[in-house]
Amino acid sequence: MAEILIQVIIAFLAGSLLLGLHRKVMARVQKRPGPPIVQHLIHSLKFFFKETAIPKTVSKVFYIGIVFILALVWIVGVIVGPVAHDSLLILFGVYAVYKIVEHNSGSSSGSPYGKLSCVRAVLSAATELPLFAAIVFVYLVTGTMNIGQIITYQSVHGPLVFSIPLAALMFFMLIITKSPYSPFAITKDKALISGFETEHFGFLRGFMLFSESIAWYVMLWVFLTIFFGPLNAVGYLIGMIAITFVTGFINATTPILSPNHSVMTQITIGAICFFGTILMIFTGVVA
Amino acid sequence: MDFVTLGGNLLGTIPLGDIVLYVTPFNLFLFAVLLGFTLLIALSKPETQVEATMHNLNNTEVKVGPKEFKQRRFLSIICGIASAGAMITGDLFNFTLFMALVGILNIGIVSAVKQTTVLNSAFNYGLIAMMCSLPLFGGAAIILAATGTLSLAVLSQMPASPMVVFGAVLMLIGILGESGVAPFFASKAEMFRTAGSPFIVIIHLSSLFIIVRAVEILLLVLW
Repeated sequence: MAEILIQVIIAFLAGSLLLGLHRKVMARVQKRPGPPIVQHLIHSLKFFFKETAIPKTVSKVFYIGIVFILALVWIVGVIVGPVAHDSLLILFGVYAVYKIVEHNSGSSSGSPYGKLSCVRAVLSAATELPLFAAIVFVYLVTGTMNIGQIITYQSVHGPLVFSIPLAALMFFMLIITKSPYSPFAITKDKALISGFETEHFGFLRGFMLFSESIAWYVMLWVFLTIFFGPLNAVGYLIGMIAITFVTGFINATTPILSPNHSVMTQITIGAICFFGTILMIFTGVVA
Repeated sequence: MDFVTLGGNLLGTIPLGDIVLYVTPFNLFLFAVLLGFTLLIALSKPETQVEATMHNLNNTEVKVGPKEFKQRRFLSIICGIASAGAMITGDLFNFTLFMALVGILNIGIVSAVKQTTVLNSAFNYGLIAMMCSLPLFGGAAIILAATGTLSLAVLSQMPASPMVVFGAVLMLIGILGESGVAPFFASKAEMFRTAGSPFIVIIHLSSLFIIVRAVEILLLVLW
């Protein structure tokens, strides 16, 4: 229990600081000073103490319940990943619930911005197929879905990023998609204000930011663990900072795509990586 | 491939002759989330959707009427229970049955809506779901014919023959169409524009979770 609590706190603090760093990198690339790195963490804490208003149009049970589900589901992600090193399939399930939360927090408010974000969340389900394919390729190479056993496999055979680089690229696409201000972040397009988060205020928004930080940490942790493992704490730290830098640079230099272009780009890159990996397996490049 | 490698430690089984229901952390997580959402649906009232009025500076409020509310809530709860069943079943045919039921219920949930675009989308999705029910059930039937069993516990211990691979590919096509995910999601996306947030969430949730469970089932059958 204590380990879970410690890991959740680490995930929240590290995730918040990494997201702060992400904003800083984006700002510097765009020749702005940008906010301090701790700004995201301060924002997250600040919202817990702000006044909470509930619009009269909402579906109240889901409007309030969904933010707790979001926080709970990423705490499950921390337990399954960094704490227990359990099955990758459960993390796939966690990600699926995250998509549902995106969908429902948008639609339960009654706001047209939230509603559009909800419809786009359905369209952006295109990212699930490359994620699914990446997980299956990891399974095909290692013969297991258990994260602990995948780490053991890599300690013997070397990091998976060298044997199935295109599967790693597919997973990295997911990380780009979920990073702030991503070219694929169609659910949070500024034309929709803050998308599905638009109508959530006060401590409800605080929970959302808390969950966002944990989600960022867990996704980076899973990526580094299944493609670059085994790593020690310093390795994770360097890896997470490096990925945050890379995504920050990509997001600062690319405009947000329209929903159709976003989905088609993701599917095209996913398809190229999928068939490329299959080709590598059948031609014997992957043992 | 066994359950433990895919879904974590086996927490328990419920033997019913050849059909064995089994519970791993993976199945339990999906099952619990679906039941939790179903409970929330049963307790929820729909939101009031606010839309801009065309050619005017007013807002239009779109609400779910009382009769429509009762019908959609009932179908959503059944959809939640059917999806939860698909998460925990240890039988291939039961999974396809739950899958087909979820497809029908997804259309039913939006069938009482009076928005033409939503109904058109449901109609298009219905056509795809209907066409994909053939490969879905056909795939399960071919696997049964090739192996003599539908139990996932037994199938997971058998080597995959070419006919089993063919059946699994057919099932995958059927699952993609029935759940309406990529590349068929375009037919389904418009269904989500209607009011009634608690009801449309189960359409999305059931589709996604069935895909997640299908990954486990196909890996069990094939490896």
